Amino acid sequence: MNPRLAVLGTIVQLELRQRIRSVSWVVLVSVVFVLVGAVTVLLWFALPAFGGDDAASAGTYSALIFFVLLVGSLVTPATSGAAINGDRDAGTLATTQVTLVTTTQLVLGKFLAAWTVALTFLAAALPAMLFTVVTGNVRPDTLAASLAVLVLLLGVVAAVGVGASALITRPLFSVVTTYLVVAALSVGTLIAFGLGSLAAQTTVSYTYTPIDYTASEIDPETGEYTTIVCGEAMEQTFEVPRTDAVWGFLAANPYVVLADASPPVWDRYGNPVDLFGTIAFGIRAAQQPPEPPEDYDECADARSGFTGQSFSPDDYESPREVYERSVPSWFVGLAIHLVLGASMLAAAIARTRTPAATLPRGSRVA
Amino acid sequence: MTASPAISATGVARSFGDVHAVRDASFEAHYGQVTALIGPNGSGKTTLLLMLATLLKPDAGEIRIDGHDPVTDARAVRQVTGWMPDVLGSWGSLTVRQSIETTARLYELSPADARTRASELIDRIGLGALADQPSRVLSRGQKQKLSLARALVHRPRVLLLDEPASGLDPAARVDLRLLVRELAAEGTAVLLSSHVLAELDEMSDAAVYLDQGATASAESVDRAKASARRWRIRALDPTILADALTQAGRPATGTDHLGTLVDVTGEQDAAELLHALVTAGVAIAAYGPAVGDLEQTFLDLAKGGER
Repeated sequence: MNPRLAVLGTIVQLELRQRIRSVSWVVLVSVVFVLVGAVTVLLWFALPAFGGDDAASAGTYSALIFFVLLVGSLVTPATSGAAINGDRDAGTLATTQVTLVTTTQLVLGKFLAAWTVALTFLAAALPAMLFTVVTGNVRPDTLAASLAVLVLLLGVVAAVGVGASALITRPLFSVVTTYLVVAALSVGTLIAFGLGSLAAQTTVSYTYTPIDYTASEIDPETGEYTTIVCGEAMEQTFEVPRTDAVWGFLAANPYVVLADASPPVWDRYGNPVDLFGTIAFGIRAAQQPPEPPEDYDECADARSGFTGQSFSPDDYESPREVYERSVPSWFVGLAIHLVLGASMLAAAIARTRTPAATLPRGSRVA
Repeated sequence: MTASPAISATGVARSFGDVHAVRDASFEAHYGQVTALIGPNGSGKTTLLLMLATLLKPDAGEIRIDGHDPVTDARAVRQVTGWMPDVLGSWGSLTVRQSIETTARLYELSPADARTRASELIDRIGLGALADQPSRVLSRGQKQKLSLARALVHRPRVLLLDEPASGLDPAARVDLRLLVRELAAEGTAVLLSSHVLAELDEMSDAAVYLDQGATASAESVDRAKASARRWRIRALDPTILADALTQAGRPATGTDHLGTLVDVTGEQDAAELLHALVTAGVAIAAYGPAVGDLEQTFLDLAKGGER
């Protein structure tokens, strides 16, 4: 084997032995395994109520993927966020750095180990996922896209953790910082979207022209108007949130990236049956500018012999139609994540390089 | 063996913010010799060793290890240098054997070579009984041994030991001394720091004195060595000794629980005094310098610094 790869492999192995080969880790992964099993069984029985078995498998599969992303992004900051400063505190970083390991190998090795740890949760969920794939009808492209994006997103969390552990001196703060970055992306983007769409409201108005019922006359025999007198047109104004101006915030949300990247499953009315479709439709709908409300002239309608508000089935767009005519954003979101992860790793390498010219305040090389 | 020094430092300085840890360090250390790096706490010994071990970049000055510059060619320096830090870290969940093997793998040894080397070192350092214990259960002294084994894993020609004896029991200190002398006999250049000077006296060939970040010049070391020393004389009857000393015109400068102290300038003077005392019929049981050579020089240098 190439000696450089062999050294990288040694670092990964060392990290895994140091960080996860313990009883508590086995317990944690087993808990996830059992939890995922329970979720699968519950969803399996709950979902057929909303559709066929295909819906159940697609819905269960998508829920599992999101569950693994949730668990992974909750645990990975703790396992990766002290990778470098923790070693520095324990006095094992410098003795590693005087060997032939390059800083790049060291940081990448720690990152790969943290990523592997994150993926053990995916491994714990694999039996349940396989079950939904084998028994149901999960589209192969959905399977491939969702797994690939999930694996990448967990890698980004691992990279952010390793980066923070190099940039911040104290392990506690780097772990917390990693959690805050994860929270900013998963929850912060939602808050920004919510507040942003309220701030970016626009005023719309429409006019309503009623029939003047007291002046109009109705033939008592037929119940039809004989004379129609129009009332005064009334203008109504109200505020609508402009989600189309701020939907970009959501594009950076890992759950949205995952949903938007995975081809969804629709039922025959064009409604999403899995979580991918539901969430993806949400963001695609948010991209649409609010439609200006139509003026309603009750009087003119009555004169033309039509009663009741006009409604044509052609006006209705199913979620699937909205989804299909709108722009996917997942690659932008994924690119933001990948750039974040890569730049954190690059910063970690630059900060950990030896011989060190500058040291973080209050820290020692060894 | 090359004629050029194993380690050479010229005007090396390094500061951390306002703290000038090393201000001006210049010295050489040679293959096959044990060089002691001596200085009080906070004199910059560890910082200097960190620079030699390619971990810190000097602000000024030049370092050559086996002819290589640790700043521009760290890899070449790391290949020939073993470093044992004063801070003892160990991979807690790895056994002693795994720790040494892993270090060997990080020095790009093949898995088979790493295994062989680990067994060799476990025997040589005397870690046999602990080989398959996780290193988190080791005592401080045992961790010290493990740390030394790791520093030796790639057969370095330059060995940097930072306080290697602290935490070791007397038997382990003797083992360490023998090992260090063995390594030097094999041609390794050993630079070791300590503030336990008696220990260094026993095993070093040369010494570098570091005080407030600066190495003492050769002249000031020579001057300090030439100055008067206290020797300690233990006679069977101290009163006869005291009389003999007065008669020889060398009155005692003091007494302690071990014997009588007297000022002596150099070994020639010491020999003459002993001859005079023996001739006068004093029964002498012990005769020697009251403090170690390194310690005396160190104390004299420190005094010189204050003046």
